[in-house]
Amino acid sequence: MLLREVEYARPSSVEEAIQLLAAHDGARALAGGQTLVNVMKARAASPDVLVDLNRLDELRAITVSGDTLQLGAMATYTQIRGSSEVEVSRPILAEVAAQIADVQVRNRGTIGGNVCSNDPTNHLPPLLVALGASMTIRGAGGERTVPAEEFFLGVYMTVVAEGELLLSVSVPAAANAADGFASITIGRDGTCIANAAACISEDSVRIVLGCVDAVPVVLTPTGTDDDSIRRAVDGANLEPPSDVHASAEYRRHLAGVCAVRAVQQARARGR
Amino acid sequence: MSTTETTTTAPVELQKGHIGQSIPRKEDKRLVQGQGIFFDDVRRHGMGYVHFVRSPHAHAKIVSIDVAAALALDGVYGTLTGDEVAIQTDPFFEMSTAPGSEIKDYALAVGKTRFMGEPVAAVCASTRELARDAAELVEVEYEQLDVLVDAREAVKDETVMHEDAGTNTVWSGVFDWGDWEAAKAEADQIVTIDELHFHRFSSTPLECSGALVEYEKATGQWTLHCNHQMPGVGAIWMAPALRTGIDKLRFITKDIGGGFGNKICLHPYYVTLCLLSRKLNRPVNWTEWRTDQHTANAHGNERWFHDVEVAVKNDGTMLGFSVKALDDCGAFPRYEPLGCIIWAQVTPGCYAWRNIRVDFTQVTTNKSPVSPNRGYSRMQHLWLTERIIDIVAAELDLDPVELRKRNYVKTEQMPYETPNGCVYDSGDYARCLDMALELIGYDSIEERRTEAAARGKLLGVGIGSTLDSGTNNFGQSQLLNPELQFSGNNEAATVKLDIFGELVVTLGTVPQGQGHETTASQVVADILGCSPDQVHVRPGHDTFFNSHAGFSGTYASQFAVTGLGAVKGATDALRAEMVALAAAVLQCEEKQIELADGFARIKDGPPEAALPFMALGAIVNANNAFLPPDFNPTLNHRFVYRPYFGNVDLEKKMGKLTLTYATQIHACVVEIDRETGVVEIVDYAAVDDCGTRIHPQIVEGQVHGATAHAIGAALHEEFVYDEDGQLLTSNFYDYHVPHALDVPALKTAAIESPSPFTPLGSKGMGEGGGGGIHCLCSAIQDALKPVGKPIVYDSCNPSHRVWSMIQDPESTRANVSVVPA
Amino acid sequence: MQQPSTSRTISVEINGEVCERDVDARRLLVHFIRDDVELTGTHIGCDTGNCGACTIHLDGQAVKSCMLLAVQADGSKVTTVEGLAGDGELTPLQQAFSSHHALQCGYCTPGMLMSASALLEQNPRPTEEEARTAIQGNICRCTGYVNIVEAIVSVNA
Repeated sequence: MLLREVEYARPSSVEEAIQLLAAHDGARALAGGQTLVNVMKARAASPDVLVDLNRLDELRAITVSGDTLQLGAMATYTQIRGSSEVEVSRPILAEVAAQIADVQVRNRGTIGGNVCSNDPTNHLPPLLVALGASMTIRGAGGERTVPAEEFFLGVYMTVVAEGELLLSVSVPAAANAADGFASITIGRDGTCIANAAACISEDSVRIVLGCVDAVPVVLTPTGTDDDSIRRAVDGANLEPPSDVHASAEYRRHLAGVCAVRAVQQARARGR
Repeated sequence: MSTTETTTTAPVELQKGHIGQSIPRKEDKRLVQGQGIFFDDVRRHGMGYVHFVRSPHAHAKIVSIDVAAALALDGVYGTLTGDEVAIQTDPFFEMSTAPGSEIKDYALAVGKTRFMGEPVAAVCASTRELARDAAELVEVEYEQLDVLVDAREAVKDETVMHEDAGTNTVWSGVFDWGDWEAAKAEADQIVTIDELHFHRFSSTPLECSGALVEYEKATGQWTLHCNHQMPGVGAIWMAPALRTGIDKLRFITKDIGGGFGNKICLHPYYVTLCLLSRKLNRPVNWTEWRTDQHTANAHGNERWFHDVEVAVKNDGTMLGFSVKALDDCGAFPRYEPLGCIIWAQVTPGCYAWRNIRVDFTQVTTNKSPVSPNRGYSRMQHLWLTERIIDIVAAELDLDPVELRKRNYVKTEQMPYETPNGCVYDSGDYARCLDMALELIGYDSIEERRTEAAARGKLLGVGIGSTLDSGTNNFGQSQLLNPELQFSGNNEAATVKLDIFGELVVTLGTVPQGQGHETTASQVVADILGCSPDQVHVRPGHDTFFNSHAGFSGTYASQFAVTGLGAVKGATDALRAEMVALAAAVLQCEEKQIELADGFARIKDGPPEAALPFMALGAIVNANNAFLPPDFNPTLNHRFVYRPYFGNVDLEKKMGKLTLTYATQIHACVVEIDRETGVVEIVDYAAVDDCGTRIHPQIVEGQVHGATAHAIGAALHEEFVYDEDGQLLTSNFYDYHVPHALDVPALKTAAIESPSPFTPLGSKGMGEGGGGGIHCLCSAIQDALKPVGKPIVYDSCNPSHRVWSMIQDPESTRANVSVVPA
Repeated sequence: MQQPSTSRTISVEINGEVCERDVDARRLLVHFIRDDVELTGTHIGCDTGNCGACTIHLDGQAVKSCMLLAVQADGSKVTTVEGLAGDGELTPLQQAFSSHHALQCGYCTPGMLMSASALLEQNPRPTEEEARTAIQGNICRCTGYVNIVEAIVSVNA
């Protein structure tokens, strides 16, 4: 419960936040804090400086321009869940946001925090990869956009370098997209033991598995029928971790089940 | 949704006024406003905060401890290590005979550490954060030792944890009642089960443990603002260890955020706090964090059952069983080996088995110590009896409902003496079962099974029959250790009528949400003829109220008998004095006086022949000159309720081990996703019979709570250790307790079979006997029948275990056999 | 650019009263509320943000005060259980908790009330499922949630 000593700054602009992150070794951005503060309570991580992004309203915006839905990194799950922009442009995001943790956590937790912490059991990394999202990152050297598929590097590691800040996540707008998401959780709507996101487009199907590796695993099966999906999962030679909730074998099996269910959901929605 | 059908099966002597009504709870107003007073809400000037340095290893020699860096930190008040503890205290009293009695248990680890999280030192500082900073600076050098996490290995003694004992076995003994060999000879079939495992979990009260401890130098007295749920026994452990008298320990509890037995073994922590407060001459606060509680406080007993043999007649009559039980109590016995006998309160479960042999052994392992946990020791044993019933039913192709009804103890047999001399006081198990089955829609179960199968779901129905034995006879401890000077039971209460007519009640009990203030006021109100609003029951326990006895506390399903028995006794005495006083004042005979509506008055007398309670209180306390010299009412009464048990027979290991037996029969319907093993509860019902219900809503609340605990334990909650003795489920992320979406709508019903043995016809009922665990294991096994008929062998069945059973039913089936006798 | 610091002076409006205090940056909001402002109705039941006993309203939203630093609440409005009703009075929700026996030990109750009152603000007549979802982040170990759900649904029924 009791944190190590830490320095705290609350910038009033994105520029200032980036300056603070760049100026201090061991500085970390504090987004919703629903992961980071817990990790600090366990003293499993102890950043020297916290740069609090919670007053940066410009990072909370959810907008649609043309065929892109843009979610500010500080958009909360509650915001995403209730956003009419999300509803009309990529409703699966709202559905999945509603499954994350609980009301209080959804009120604080953000899309940016979720992807930047890249806990392999999180919902959003596989979903965003499946949807073909891209992440906009700014640092002292300027701004860059990275496809979600390249964003995640390892457990709790992403391409966001020290001194950089994730600004927003962009998702192709497609109100009637054939998207699906399935998970097996600890208790109802709990932490994921296995999950999978699926996105069917005209000529292909894309499945992304969470929980089975340090980063989301992308599969491109040859068809959308259950057998093709199972073959694709089998062919991926997954080596998922074992823990108290699932052996590697069970988790591998669940990955297949989730993949099939996610695609079934996507198929049903795409009709 | 709840349906309550109440039927009284025997006359109740006490006239019902407020008793039997669900009046608003007295506790609620403060609690819903956030005005409850829990131990961590108490502040003292100059108070220091304590943080424990805990062992990261499950088994290691402590080579050295260096506190210098911690002490050097600004704001640190001081430290305490095991070396100091070993000098300043004596080891805690052990209840076992040898070898368990040789175990040395101190407040902090001395010389070696025997479980992950064991406190090896304590640091006190000016803030909570600083105390933790300083604890991180304490340098401890360890030399790791071989680790025992499996009781089946520990019993071999290849590695020994407690050198003084020379063995890992704490206690062992054989219980042999009836004639098992004859039962075997008489049986048509012997069903055998090689191994069953009751897993390790705890009720994890939402408020963790802790205390604010103050030391008064002038008197050598400690005051503990705490959440100990059994201070009477806590003091028996602590005072000798601290080399002081029991009068030097003042326990104060106010509101307690749940206990469930997990707050009984706090004495090692509290002794450390006592030593620190004396050493530093300042009040010290210790707040346990959740991870600490999971890692190093109190788990429920884990138990293995080996070589089970059940003697069955072809018509389904069960003659008895034989089993080897191996109990894992973790690193130190503490409240153990009591668990080696407590189960015997319910030896045959709900069944008329007459021949039972139990070979019981308890061992230590390098895991958290255990303590009583809701359903303590009986739950494990009842799980065995219910597993036996369902496994026998499955193997002999008998109907589990019919098998139960055939073998249940019948209502007309009550009071029923079990093979080991316990007396089941009252009950109607078959009727409760019928009610539970009706609530879950049992009639249409086969149609629903077919319908579920069409959706890819495996539907199963389960039953859990349990007894909640309450009001212990502590004499059963002598069946473990004849030298122990404990027997019987008691509880105290005081009731007084004060100067302005206030009725003030103090309880020896230590409530943690059971509504004692409310139910005590109902009893007092009905005896004195007033409103419960006029009765002020002091919240919590305070040793200085002088209202406690040696077994005081709130544990083991007994308040409705012992606590209210004490309240009734004290109030009866007060009533007699009030009547005598009123007769003296009103110049009439005592028999003419009635107490009603807050008055002592002459029955059918004129309106002026009535004294308000205030007048009685004022006369005795402040206006007594006119009272005759030989008439000295005090209007202040202490009563100690003592149930009668008689002696236990040490030779035959028989006796009345508890006074009352409440019944809970659970039934449920589950659907299992055959692809994933995920279990969903689609119907759930529990039928309770705890005799006369003082406050039906509170009773129903206890049923709900016990059921939720059992659902959590059956599907999710397990303390899992790796081979190095590292606890893998040390927080609420990995140790999943059910939240509101996990618990289905629970249906409840009740009947009342009053106990012939208790002052109010009531029975203790808070623990519920783990009914939901038995019920879910039963339902899962039933649901999995079509996929190879696996046997549910573990009490915890999260989706991965269910999936494994679906994948490989044969390996579970290899565990059982049927041998024609 | 402001300089990061290990402590700050913050001003938080708690239950209508402005509290100004110097706090360490590392101090959790729940400890600020309980230990510094001495409003002890807000409880702590875990150390991982799961149990919800510390739920408060921060600028009108239910949040867990153990997953926020006190310095983050600077300039905000906080409501705790003590601020739900006037002194000595009960809100209909608090009354419903009592009459439905939605509490036993009462330790989770303040957090439950804060989650439930946030729900009722937005959705005065929730279904049972909505009520369950609203308190999913609040663990109760006594009641099995049955009566809590009943109480919440009953308030404006």
